[in-house]
Amino acid sequence: MTDTTFGTASRDRENRFTQAIEWLARNPIAFPVLLICLVCLVVGAINPSFWQVANLFDILRASVVRGLFALGVLTVLAAGGLEVSFASIAALVMYSVTKFVVNYAPDLGILPILVMGAAGGTLCGMLNGMLVNWLKAPALIVTIGTQYAFRGIVLTFIGTSLFMNIPVSMDAFGQVNLMTITNSSEFEVKLPAYVLILVVAACVTWVILNRTLIGRAIYAVGGKPEIAERLGFRVPRVQLFVFSFAGMLAGIAGILHVSANRLANPFDLAGSELAVIAAVVLGGARITGGAGTVGGTMLGVLLITLVNNVLVLVGIPSTWQTAILGGFILFAGLFFTLTEKK
Amino acid sequence: MGHSKLLLAGVSALAMVCIGLPAAAADKEIVTVVKVTGENWFTRMEEGVDKYGADTDGITARQVGPAKADAAQQTAIIQDLIAQDVDAITIVPMDPSALEGVLRRAMKRGIVITTHEADNLQNTQVDMEAFDNHEFGAHFAEQIVECMGEKGQWTSFVGSLGSLTHVQWADGGEEYAAKFPGMELVSPKNESFNDANRAYEIAKEILRTYPDIKGFQGGSAIDVIGIGRAVEEAGLEDRTCVIGLGLPKDTGPYLETGAVDSIAFWDPLDAGYVMNILTKMTVMGEEIKDGMDLGVQGYNNVKVSAGPGEGIIVRGQAWVDVDAANYKEYPF
Repeated sequence: MTDTTFGTASRDRENRFTQAIEWLARNPIAFPVLLICLVCLVVGAINPSFWQVANLFDILRASVVRGLFALGVLTVLAAGGLEVSFASIAALVMYSVTKFVVNYAPDLGILPILVMGAAGGTLCGMLNGMLVNWLKAPALIVTIGTQYAFRGIVLTFIGTSLFMNIPVSMDAFGQVNLMTITNSSEFEVKLPAYVLILVVAACVTWVILNRTLIGRAIYAVGGKPEIAERLGFRVPRVQLFVFSFAGMLAGIAGILHVSANRLANPFDLAGSELAVIAAVVLGGARITGGAGTVGGTMLGVLLITLVNNVLVLVGIPSTWQTAILGGFILFAGLFFTLTEKK
Repeated sequence: MGHSKLLLAGVSALAMVCIGLPAAAADKEIVTVVKVTGENWFTRMEEGVDKYGADTDGITARQVGPAKADAAQQTAIIQDLIAQDVDAITIVPMDPSALEGVLRRAMKRGIVITTHEADNLQNTQVDMEAFDNHEFGAHFAEQIVECMGEKGQWTSFVGSLGSLTHVQWADGGEEYAAKFPGMELVSPKNESFNDANRAYEIAKEILRTYPDIKGFQGGSAIDVIGIGRAVEEAGLEDRTCVIGLGLPKDTGPYLETGAVDSIAFWDPLDAGYVMNILTKMTVMGEEIKDGMDLGVQGYNNVKVSAGPGEGIIVRGQAWVDVDAANYKEYPF
């Protein structure tokens, strides 16, 4: 190989690389899609039993709670804030509502329970929003505070022990299936109906962000708050809205978590925050605000859940699993920053 | 008249204080520090601690613990107790190695330190184990091997790879099952992070990856709940053997359906009681001898051996096996 051919080839390669990066920067949604395809192909090559419907069902099922959290984080992030109290809100709401229903209204249907969850979550979210407005402190700091406060409240005043006797309607709701398939090794795989709640929530979030005035206000406030204020957007109102909305989604997610898990444990969901934020960022939302799409976020969630759910399949020993997951998020995050700089 | 009455009252009040004071000072205070407050397990342990306090003269016994299972918070609580200058602390460590420093400090201050579920800890005077952890793991595997007909694939779960006892149970089970050539261990020591939902997700993934799997050994007390749910949803109750640590009340529904075959545990009430017995003996300077009878079921013939540090390890044979037939006898 002579110097000249080498030079051209490498310049060509560099050009193509730059082009690819630029294309990715224009189409951030392609990034999670590419990674998902890559992971699927690699895992499928290592263990062909990856290619079965059961796996898809499981990943969809495991995406629901994380997906609802991610939609809330996306909304807050788009408005320029960062919300980390969602898992604590979910734990507080799910445990209090479940305990209340078990003790005082054991025959209550799933619909009022979901409404109670949504209302409780909204209240907690409103508190976040009001604190952010009053204290004029960064949303991250405020929600780190409320994250501890909400968890402290549930453990101090509501209870600490897990219980299995959840309301009949919640248990039944978790067992409703859209589809049941008996697979080759003769066990049943089911696609639970509560997956639809995530679909509905994603559609609602999409409409709010893309088809309403408040949606435009959210992106404006997240992009350049001073300019948005001068343009007449009321920043405090936008803040209150995004935090309440995120709280509502977290409340619903909590109720679904209990229904699916068939037990109420106030210690659950703690520690899931960073994976959710990682999913939103991998989905193309900028951590500094003003950008991000529902489609990208859902793909980010799918990606994180996928990686989380194939480590046994690939045969990675459990000692390595968290390290692999961390490395993966790091790699993906770095790659994404690279495209953003170009 | 009025004056003398007042004087009498004053003198008697003073006398009461004087009598009261030395009595209170002579009461030795033993504090039990648990991994987390409020979990059914440690609520049951608190009953044992309270029972010991009520049964024993000259001892004030109480239990404390963090609201969240967190090694750092547990350390903070122990530091607090050192500052309060209690007589003895008996601890169920979240992460034994994280406590070495603070426990050494406590012992230097003359506070008696004993532990439970931490036979690798150096800075303790007595470590109490309900049983030998390898034997306990082997005990699970023995049941699994028998239930599986000595052949097939099986797997094990741990709460986390940092939970020493869980890892020892998994290892003990692995060693026992290795004696049977038909037993194939796959994807060992899956981490559930003490989350039933995570255990469920991993169990489902294992069922997908190894469709012929027959045996599951649970580690953390809620592993069997998650595994049981996965097995039940797959309709595999009769084909699989799910056996592990569990609590009767929490696991009951899955024992009923047969998704979980059998659970074993040691009674935290007895453990709390025995921890306090051993702690008091250490405070009083009494010698703990091999083969001693501590007067509690399962601890009638304790084995004493040297620990990794200066202290000793005291082991009972206190496991209880429970299945669908008898779980209702244990209300926790």
